[in-house]
Amino acid sequence: MTRFAVRRLLQMIPVLFFVSVIIFVLINLVPGDAARLFLGEEAPPDALAALRHELGLDRPLYVQYLRWVGGMLRGDFGHSFKDNRKVLTTVLQKVPVTGELTIAALAIAWTIAIPAGVVAAWRRRTAVDYSASAAALTGLSIPNFWLGIMLIYLFAVHLRWLPASGFVPLGQDPVLNLKTIVMPAFVLGIVLAAVVMRQLRSSMLEVLSADYVRTANAKGLGERVVLVRHALRNAVIPVITVMGIQMGTLFGGAVITETIFALPGLGRLTVESIYGRDYPMLEGVVMFSAFAVLAVNLVVDIVYSLIDPRIKLAGSGP
Amino acid sequence: MRRAGGLVLAGIMVGGLMAAAAAQGKGGTLRAGLDADPPSMDPHRSTAAVDRQVYQNLFDKLMDTDDTLQIIPMLATSWTTSPDGRTVTLKLRKGVKFHDGTPFDAEAVKYNFDRMKDPNFPSARRSEVLPVQKVTVVDPATVALGLERPYSPLLYVLTDRAGMIVSPAEAKKAGTDFALHPVGTGPFRFVEKIPQDHITLERNPDYWVKGQPLLERIIYRPFPDDNARVANLKSGDVDIINRTPLPQIRQLAQEASQPGARFKLLEHGAFSWQGIWLNVTKPPFDNKLLRQAFNATIDRNVIANVVLQGAAYPSYSFFPNGTPAYDPTWKIPPRNIPLAKEKLQAAGSPSGFSCTLLIVPGQVNQAIGQAVQSMAADAGIQVKLQIVEFGTMLHETDTLQHQAAFLGWSGRPDPDFDIYPFVTQSGIGSFNDAGYTNPQVQTLLAAARLLNDMDQRRRAYRQVTQILADDLPYLWLYFEKEYKLVSTRVHGFIHVPDGMMRFRTVSLSPQ
Repeated sequence: MTRFAVRRLLQMIPVLFFVSVIIFVLINLVPGDAARLFLGEEAPPDALAALRHELGLDRPLYVQYLRWVGGMLRGDFGHSFKDNRKVLTTVLQKVPVTGELTIAALAIAWTIAIPAGVVAAWRRRTAVDYSASAAALTGLSIPNFWLGIMLIYLFAVHLRWLPASGFVPLGQDPVLNLKTIVMPAFVLGIVLAAVVMRQLRSSMLEVLSADYVRTANAKGLGERVVLVRHALRNAVIPVITVMGIQMGTLFGGAVITETIFALPGLGRLTVESIYGRDYPMLEGVVMFSAFAVLAVNLVVDIVYSLIDPRIKLAGSGP
Repeated sequence: MRRAGGLVLAGIMVGGLMAAAAAQGKGGTLRAGLDADPPSMDPHRSTAAVDRQVYQNLFDKLMDTDDTLQIIPMLATSWTTSPDGRTVTLKLRKGVKFHDGTPFDAEAVKYNFDRMKDPNFPSARRSEVLPVQKVTVVDPATVALGLERPYSPLLYVLTDRAGMIVSPAEAKKAGTDFALHPVGTGPFRFVEKIPQDHITLERNPDYWVKGQPLLERIIYRPFPDDNARVANLKSGDVDIINRTPLPQIRQLAQEASQPGARFKLLEHGAFSWQGIWLNVTKPPFDNKLLRQAFNATIDRNVIANVVLQGAAYPSYSFFPNGTPAYDPTWKIPPRNIPLAKEKLQAAGSPSGFSCTLLIVPGQVNQAIGQAVQSMAADAGIQVKLQIVEFGTMLHETDTLQHQAAFLGWSGRPDPDFDIYPFVTQSGIGSFNDAGYTNPQVQTLLAAARLLNDMDQRRRAYRQVTQILADDLPYLWLYFEKEYKLVSTRVHGFIHVPDGMMRFRTVSLSPQ
């Protein structure tokens, strides 16, 4: 297991290298001059030149790239163009917000999707199945921003049960933290629940028609035992794959949800860095997200082997 | 006379508000919602309008504007201009300290001008203070600004970011890191900024106005989404928001007038202008007849009163209602499709032409774009709408690659900064998104800078406007009214038409 993890970690290096090249090239292809955006519309040419020099934008692209990568290797992700803030510190500041949001959304998704998926497959082609599928379709179709605003109007403006926005760190006030995270996590979780439920239903259907399930039933095992121990455990593998991909996406930032609920997460940092042409910040946040996606996928692979002993991790053999 | 009456009335109102504020008591935390995350806390480097919201309470300026846009003393207590107009002498307030405890004096003012003009320091203010050639410290409380030639907009320039005085001690120490811990003399001092989350300011206990500020703390939070910003005000999560979405004005005004409403809607005359730049350097709009044809199709009353539901005035100049150079006798032409067809005929395109109009994302922008599109279609002009993000828009318009672009200006109290860079050579590549020049316009606008009398300046601006109304590098569309959505808990807020929220007179009643 350890050897596997180490090997996978080493494999990340070339991937992250390619990501760094791609992000650097893409950023430099986007129209718009960072110096112009920072100095404003009437900036005299010598001031623009001074700023380009300060930001290092007057150097050849390959020099800029090497300086950036060199900095990262030494743990220096650079400084924001906007106010000289440290990129790494800012990105790490956002991680608890996005991390908690992702985990909470995932928890909500699992809570809804697992029972719904299992029941829909077990009682297939009945009213229960159809209504679960209809609910999932609705969950998928509701736009995030609309659901978010509706929840705010219901729970913050009318009922006044929850704050409309913001983020309070868990360590500072756990109750308020929960109150601030529940609506955005629900908005994200509901879409995720729909995806997971659909996936789980179809893989459960497949498993339920498998021989070993028939055997289990023939042995006279209880319906619940067959469903949960035999069927669900096998059906959940493809679901974990989907979750891994979804979680990577979430960790890259749930931009719309973060914007509606004014959550200072990675998504908003990314978008505002793009709008402001804050290249070092954007490069930093994309590199971090890429790393997070790779890490999540590694965890997913490890979880596979824990759930299904038949899946051997390459390099972790006897 | 009217002005004097207005001042007395304003004085009584301010006095009354302050008495009311005192009755509400001190303390409390005001939570202000902003439409964007302020990018920089250094006024000499700032380029975003939203930065100025925070600066109003963090920095004092040499002068300020009151709610009638008159210039009033702030860090400068009085000023005189020499007979030749080339020296402006400022008397400075004594006994004022920066938040770091260092004294504010003439040396500090000189340092600030030097900082803005330093060629090695990337200041966004350089062009604004370009006419100031020399700053002389006469004595610790007097400073003389030597100008290349008379420059009437100067005092108004000093009511904004160029007049904000930063602590020389901190600025020298921090260099380009100043934005991370800004130090001024304002009623509130900086505590922290977490990007995309909040900016916190706390009361400056040594503020030079006795008894002010009243609040203990201000927390600014960014809400880029219009609906979320309004919802947070309604839920009581914030106490005031800086921008109210125009399409919601009518509904919000109605809700605010209901008994038991928890917020009020404040309205002021317009300060900003909005319209369409036509690139005169490339087809199709290098042809003046086609610009005139396009212009004739537009119904400005429908845009202001139907599309924007009365939250704007129709416009046909660069000078919004309520600013000093506004000219009430200047008329808005009615929509005229036969004239548009006549111009198309004369241009040799009787069946019309097509063009691409760039707009930035947003509900209002798209609504205006679609309205213009359908109006122009009646004369056979096919307008394609292309939505681009703001940075891309600036790139396209700076390099004059666009055909037409829907872009406005937040407005300044002095008319010069509402027109000069937009239609002269100096603004090409930045403000002048038409690429338009005209020697006559240049001469008149340069002359207006030398004139001190607003009536005389207004005459020059009227002549320029007449030329522009024929040349049409810009299709003026509307002047957006200035609104503030405020919780009923907030007392003593003085609504200045520039839209900037000054909180030193504000207090809060208990929740």
